[in-house]
Amino acid sequence: MVYEVFARKSRGDVLKHVGNVTAPDDELAKVYAFSTYDEEKWFDMFIAPRDRWVEVFNRYEPASELGIAAAKPRKAAR
Amino acid sequence: MNQTVAPEPKAQVAARDLILVLADSKRLLGTRYAEWILGAPELETGIACASMAQDEWGHARLLYALLKDFDEDIDRLEHGREPHEYASIELLDRSPASWAEFVAINALVDTALTVQLRALTESSYAPLRQRVAKLIDEERFHEAHGVAWSRRLASTPEGRSALNEAVQQVLPKAVQWFGLPGDDAAADGLMAGTADDLRDAFIAAIAPVLENVRGTDGSAGLDFESFDPRTRRTRGTSPDAETIARVRGDKNRAFLMD
Repeated sequence: MVYEVFARKSRGDVLKHVGNVTAPDDELAKVYAFSTYDEEKWFDMFIAPRDRWVEVFNRYEPASELGIAAAKPRKAAR
Repeated sequence: MNQTVAPEPKAQVAARDLILVLADSKRLLGTRYAEWILGAPELETGIACASMAQDEWGHARLLYALLKDFDEDIDRLEHGREPHEYASIELLDRSPASWAEFVAINALVDTALTVQLRALTESSYAPLRQRVAKLIDEERFHEAHGVAWSRRLASTPEGRSALNEAVQQVLPKAVQWFGLPGDDAAADGLMAGTADDLRDAFIAAIAPVLENVRGTDGSAGLDFESFDPRTRRTRGTSPDAETIARVRGDKNRAFLMD
């Protein structure tokens, strides 16, 4: 499972997205987030599994819905 | 003599010995962690090994530096000793042969060192007391890594049996490491609690790991016959020469500046 990692430098700052880690459960994800992103002196850090994100909207409709075929793979040069 | 050193000669020896035991054990533990940076089962856990290795080496550095107050030659301590002079915990003499063994070392040995550090937060020896809080704080995620991985291994029958075997191997020596029952370091105010108190605290601390293995409660009979209380090792044993060559940084000596 992919977990997105958020942290901030001081209380009251907005959380900043700092990266992600792949882990089988919350427990290991916490350890991995800490050991991967601990280089800076963060005030606090949070993780959230990517599959729990709820999309509110995006400005880009999928190409298929616009009737545009996906780009064909280029032929290998002979 | 520096006034921060405990006044009683016996207490001084006990403090010096304990600091060396912790420093050597942390240096060896850092080395074992480093060996698994590239061999770990997934990228993230390799990064965790790198991070834990850095912590342990940093702690060892800081602990060796404390020994200046005891008129020790720090350069010799770090770079000039033979394997038989090391006071590191015996369980780190060899590299863990498998990931399950690595997890047992991470979960039990690292936690044993931390339990010992916690007993020093009220130590009568001020320089030690002032530094341990930072070390303990940095250990939080080491324990969490060991517990999380022991749970993960225990989630499959093969992993559970490998973990079980590794824990059975590691546990008796880890329990023994706290020293002889009736050791009077506590009475000198060097640390809070006797060796037996620390053993109890250790068993309590590793309960989340022991949950994942069968029939192990750490209460197996202790054998102190060849145990050297100063180094907390079996007499006549030592890490191998190759490990110590790496720990000393022999290959990097040429780059050291005066």
